[in-house]
Amino acid sequence: MINDKSFYLDLFSVTENDLQQLLEESLRSGGDYADLYFENTSCSDLLLRDGEVSSGGFNIDFGVGIRVLKGEKTGYAYAESTDRASMLSAARAAALIADRNASAGCVGTRADEASVPKYKGRPNPAADRYPMLQDWRTCETSRLVPFLDRLHKDICARDARVIKVIAMLSSQVTDLLMYNSFGELKYETRPLGSVSISVVFQQDGQVETKSVSRSFRAGVEMLSDGLAEELAAKAVQGIDDRFAARRPKGGKMPVVMGAGASGILLHEAMGHAFEADFNRKGQSVFSDKMGRRICPEGITIVDDATIHGNRGALNFDDEGVPGQRTVLVEDGILASYMHDRISAGYYDVKPTGNGRRESFRYNPIPRMRATYMEGGQADPKDIIASVRKGIYVDQFSNGQVKIGEGDFTFFVQSGFLIENGRLTAPVKDINVIGNGPEALADIVAVGNDPTVDDGTWTCGKEQSVPVSCGIPTVLIKKLTVGGE
Amino acid sequence: MGNEILTREERDLALKCMELALAKGAEKVRVTAYKSIMDLVGTLNGEVDKVTHCLDRSLSVSLFVDGRYGTFSTNRFEEKGLDAFLDQAVSLTRMLAPDPCRDLPDPERTAKDAVTGTELNLYDDYYERMTPELRLRLALDASIFGKRNGERWTLVSEEAEYSDSVFDTFLVDSQGLRCRHIETAFEYGVEMTIIDRKGNKYSKYWWDGTPMLKDLDINACCPKALDLAVEMLDPKRHRNGRTNLVIDTECASKVVSPLLRALNAYAIQQNNSFLMDSAGKQVFPEGLTILDCCRNPGETGSRYFDTEGVATRPMPIIDKGTVCQYFVNTYMAGKTGLAPTIEDAIRPKVLPWPRKGLGRKEILELCGEGILVTGFNGGNSNSATGNFSYGIEGFAFKDGRITHPIRDMVVTGNFLDLWSHLIACGDDARVCLSKLVPTLAFSQVDFSA
Repeated sequence: MINDKSFYLDLFSVTENDLQQLLEESLRSGGDYADLYFENTSCSDLLLRDGEVSSGGFNIDFGVGIRVLKGEKTGYAYAESTDRASMLSAARAAALIADRNASAGCVGTRADEASVPKYKGRPNPAADRYPMLQDWRTCETSRLVPFLDRLHKDICARDARVIKVIAMLSSQVTDLLMYNSFGELKYETRPLGSVSISVVFQQDGQVETKSVSRSFRAGVEMLSDGLAEELAAKAVQGIDDRFAARRPKGGKMPVVMGAGASGILLHEAMGHAFEADFNRKGQSVFSDKMGRRICPEGITIVDDATIHGNRGALNFDDEGVPGQRTVLVEDGILASYMHDRISAGYYDVKPTGNGRRESFRYNPIPRMRATYMEGGQADPKDIIASVRKGIYVDQFSNGQVKIGEGDFTFFVQSGFLIENGRLTAPVKDINVIGNGPEALADIVAVGNDPTVDDGTWTCGKEQSVPVSCGIPTVLIKKLTVGGE
Repeated sequence: MGNEILTREERDLALKCMELALAKGAEKVRVTAYKSIMDLVGTLNGEVDKVTHCLDRSLSVSLFVDGRYGTFSTNRFEEKGLDAFLDQAVSLTRMLAPDPCRDLPDPERTAKDAVTGTELNLYDDYYERMTPELRLRLALDASIFGKRNGERWTLVSEEAEYSDSVFDTFLVDSQGLRCRHIETAFEYGVEMTIIDRKGNKYSKYWWDGTPMLKDLDINACCPKALDLAVEMLDPKRHRNGRTNLVIDTECASKVVSPLLRALNAYAIQQNNSFLMDSAGKQVFPEGLTILDCCRNPGETGSRYFDTEGVATRPMPIIDKGTVCQYFVNTYMAGKTGLAPTIEDAIRPKVLPWPRKGLGRKEILELCGEGILVTGFNGGNSNSATGNFSYGIEGFAFKDGRITHPIRDMVVTGNFLDLWSHLIACGDDARVCLSKLVPTLAFSQVDFSA
């Protein structure tokens, strides 16, 4: 962690006096809160295709986002240069939200709305959850290429059916400087490294694909021998089952979700409905259920920014609020939404550090970080053994949920039939559909194997942000499984 | 102002960037300068909730150095930083493995007619007269919050966004290519959430978008979204089984896009396409014809060139069931030995069948009984096999008339099998979408509930 204020001020060519003046300009039209978000991001990637790392590149993104709040209303603008004229222009555009003249005669603008309280945070630094021992930006490409070459070699050596390997190494390093109208100054550098692999297998004319990925808030040091071995092993793991898998007969049946990556269902089907903006606007199925039981005792759901090196980890969010562990559901009771400053003001609670944004081009909104269910008491083997006829899913993809209705659909990438308490035939290419609140209420067993998956999960609610997800082995009494 | 979105200085910088890269050792270079400006007014329940002003620029550089290839971009347009940026880019490219298949497109194949950027009539001069006050007025006047009530429901939330934007792309390469495309876009989208008397919520979204403000049907959006939400009240679980499938034009591209992806040479080269070896063969029924209507002036999505600068050409993609072309860019042409074409479908259009003039109503009558899908909710398809399984929302229909909304259903099948059971392609594609796919109907489709 770079803990040197002058590094960031110099990088963005501003002084603390400039920041204050910019804020004053932003608030000149009557806004009651403003913040500045300076960002310098370097992304790079290397791509292995057909056995060689033959393409790569990098991208530089630099700018400042300026937000003005008037009550719950948001004015937002940004500049891709930090010269004074560009920043002032953006500040004036954002200030329009509070400009009575610009909205004159427009019935219904809430220019007179009373301001909502805004939480004041703590000074920098809040934590150091992702130290970067070796900066991606200063690492020679020649040191990174062998990692991908090794992966390719290892994967091909593990299974003769491999016909294509695409492997990508991506890194992103972001320098941030934030300043707000409380006078809070925050600054840090956030790393994010990812390795994604897609493998095509062929057997007797049949083609199957498999993808695997790992991502961490860490520097080049994450490219360890252990990571390469884990990825290569996972890239070919279970491929026999994939070739043998068939679509099962559909219907309503018990569904066991395997520990780890199945947590994406928790993220999509329940997590989004806990985001405070959907609740503030009355759109979420949970908008009138705070403090009420929404699922059986023993179920606790957490959104966590504090996991060291995790893809969803944050020292502080993109509003400068400290990253924290937020219990959303405690022992079956809805305990908290995920808040940014606006929703926290609306509900008169402290923000939970969930105000996130894709880049300086976006205003922050409530977003998840690492969302997972805590472990229960049951042995995962006993959970499977308790099902006479059902389905076990260990990998979902392409989930979608309707926030208002709570209805979700998830594509099953891999799983098994459960027959008389045993995993039998592998299954694929089917959907599991249900309703988030109903599925939560229908959980009848929670395993003692809580696992957070370290894949390259990216949440796409209006903007893309890195997240992670997790779940222990869980039995849902009944869900609809689409099949033949 | 139409030709001054990217200023002369910014376009000159693209050319300078190319010259600098060549001077630093690149054999060939392609540079794309891009700029967009967008203003947005968000409303919540008929009141202003958000105003946003965006101005984005980028300089993207493709370098061909010592037989190697790299791609780089920056949004820093200061000339002083360009030198270091290109030093680093050339240096990184030299670290990569040589790839003889990487090259610029043959100049004979590139566009020569996109000079001013406005040739396709996608730039609305009225954009220059937009003001913050006008934007606010448009956004607020479109609202119907508080103006409509129902006996069975209450409107919980009306969340809408009006935006106008302009995009300018300037593409140059070291073989003399100079291409430009300028386009305005005016859009309005709204999500209506209602609650019924039992406490169940239903949300529906509707939008319109057009290059010309005069064509934006902004006042129709809120009523339409609300009507769609109300139609979904009291859904019922429908029985499993095999029946007719009608897909509304709003979401029908869901069963066309996978065909286009399967025809892309990237998928072919990776053996990850269910349309391998299909070129020139009739693998679909005679009723399916897809044309790439890529050069229609004034129509959303039209382009004179792709991202390599290759000239687009109106041509059949699938003609009466026969696959006419793969999408092969210069790189994939080298990798696969296929003749280069265009990198992707630009503005595909599914033609009406068996006759012109069919809309949703006529197609429901033609089918008699089945499931009308108005939206997809999750699911996926297998690019190698063509198998698919999607969550759906929509309605059951009988005797050509909708009977009730459905819930908790999935549709499952294989694309080749689905299209072999084509009943009809409508004539009602929405022109605001870049893929012109009308209402579609198929027989013998499997539904699970």
